[in-house]
Amino acid sequence: MFGASLSRWSMSYFAAALLSLAAAEILMALGYGYPQAALQAPETLVLVHVVAIGWLSLLMCGALFQFVPVLVAQPLHSNTLPAPTLVLLVAGLASLILGFLQLAGQVDPALPFFAFAGALLGAGFALALWNLGRTLWAAQTLPMPAQFVVVGLASVGATVALGIIFALVLGGVATYGPFVELTATGLPLHVVAGLGGWLTFTAIGVSYRLLAMFMLAPELERRSTKAALYLGTAALALAFVGGVLAVLLRGNLAFVLLAAAGLGLVALALYGADVVHLYRARKRPRIELNSRMAAFALASLAACVVLIVVLLALGRLTDHVGAVVFLVVFGWLSGLGLAQLYKIVAFLTWLECYGPVIGKAQTPRVQDLVVEPRAIKWFGLYFIAVWAGTLALIAGYPPAFQACAAAMLIATGGIAAQLARTRRLSDVAAALRLPQGAKRPGLLFSHSHQT
Amino acid sequence: MTIEFAEIDVRPTLRAGGEPFEEIMKAVNTLAPGQGLRLLATFKPVPLFSVLGAKGYGHEERELEGGDWEVLFRPTSAAPAAQARPSAAQAADAADWPEPVQHLDNRDLDPPEPMVRILAATEAMAKGEVLSALLCREPTFLLPELAKRGHAWRGGFEPDGKSYQILVRVGAAAQA
Repeated sequence: MFGASLSRWSMSYFAAALLSLAAAEILMALGYGYPQAALQAPETLVLVHVVAIGWLSLLMCGALFQFVPVLVAQPLHSNTLPAPTLVLLVAGLASLILGFLQLAGQVDPALPFFAFAGALLGAGFALALWNLGRTLWAAQTLPMPAQFVVVGLASVGATVALGIIFALVLGGVATYGPFVELTATGLPLHVVAGLGGWLTFTAIGVSYRLLAMFMLAPELERRSTKAALYLGTAALALAFVGGVLAVLLRGNLAFVLLAAAGLGLVALALYGADVVHLYRARKRPRIELNSRMAAFALASLAACVVLIVVLLALGRLTDHVGAVVFLVVFGWLSGLGLAQLYKIVAFLTWLECYGPVIGKAQTPRVQDLVVEPRAIKWFGLYFIAVWAGTLALIAGYPPAFQACAAAMLIATGGIAAQLARTRRLSDVAAALRLPQGAKRPGLLFSHSHQT
Repeated sequence: MTIEFAEIDVRPTLRAGGEPFEEIMKAVNTLAPGQGLRLLATFKPVPLFSVLGAKGYGHEERELEGGDWEVLFRPTSAAPAAQARPSAAQAADAADWPEPVQHLDNRDLDPPEPMVRILAATEAMAKGEVLSALLCREPTFLLPELAKRGHAWRGGFEPDGKSYQILVRVGAAAQA
């Protein structure tokens, strides 16, 4: 059978992801980790991984289990595997946090939590890659957005491989010289592969299709799109392969990263030009909340690029790398994620509940499942808090940063409540809510119609 | 044998953003027995080949200067159902399907409206009838729903690569 069905477990991924985001915001509001602790302190590492694995990677995996089949018009290889994958990833994240707390001396070092984390996260990401890889493999041709996703998936493999090496060395399991070397100086490679390759590159690929789809803009396969793909891939390959070689051969890592950053910034500029073109070429004059809020996330990405260039020129990038990473993670990746989640949840809920009865009974429209004016104030608060938080980090005012994190938490709560209302059909007129033959969707689970 | 051709030029309609299908089918229905149709279009109208193939017309197309196309549809002597045209696999494929009774142009609708309109339309159609719809992308969520409702479908991108045409035959999944 061709076509895509509902991904059964994506809603569970989204729920686990939002819980992680809230947990991270609580930690930041309480002053846990950076800027109160050092960038590489165990507390900061706990915080960073709750965000990178718990929030962003679970969000991305949940989205890809639904979206890759749509991109390549093939059913997901397995609609069952995502469940054990989720359990492995969450258990792996918990072990990793316990491992970091052992480093900080807050947890008894008797159990080898780092080794558990390496095994569990390795298995979880391997299952996700297998499932998505087989789905992509079954397609005859890969459209441009899917090619970005392929590079993103290769990057998560690289990120996790390095992460496992770090975990084994930090856990005292591995003493192999090159592994110790990588752990000592290879952290930037792990960050670049994770934030740049896995999360940013995949998000770029997905955004090409989502923006075109929901704004009725033409699908882009322009020369600039191809150039962004090739240059971005070259930047990531250079950063990772060149970086690993530089670490192992004691070459100049900073130089390799700078060259990769140069390529990467050009790729981002081309992506920016494509996105501006998409917004301009759209056939739909009034766009929905997700596309409007995505513009703020894209503006955050542009601000990151400007910030990096300015800080590099001033020779101050190392001092403010925390602020840059914060803006990349919360302004760009999380902002785009929350904006698209708002539409994706409504769309999938509508499809699950009303798809089977279209034409047989009167059904609401997708937009009847949401109340945009109510959601928009939470999005507004979120972006303002993130931007203010970035400025607080640059200016060096930790209490102001904590206040911004608290505001982000409130905004996230507001957005999550809207998502739950959508899932529960709370905003659909009672007369239309459950026509005959329609089934109320579960909050965390989708009834898949796949045959 | 010389064949007399009626001429229809749908290029103005296409350039104005219109959908010339109805115009073409009207012209086809007024053809005298043995008469052919000379069609002028701005692109190679591949979906039409199967539709007119089913009505007993063979086609011969050539590109004109400026990227327009001229297609000559000639009545074939054989009965439509018995036709097996090795030169046009798609035409042979759809030869057993009747002419669509409904045409939708869903290219400018927000998702999931194209899917809603197609499903709503098929619910109102009789078994065996065919619906034709133009979309701006492959309808990935629609296809499983059509299969579940027992409809057969055939679809593909048009030569311009921008619109996707789908033919849905109501309640025909078993024989597809």
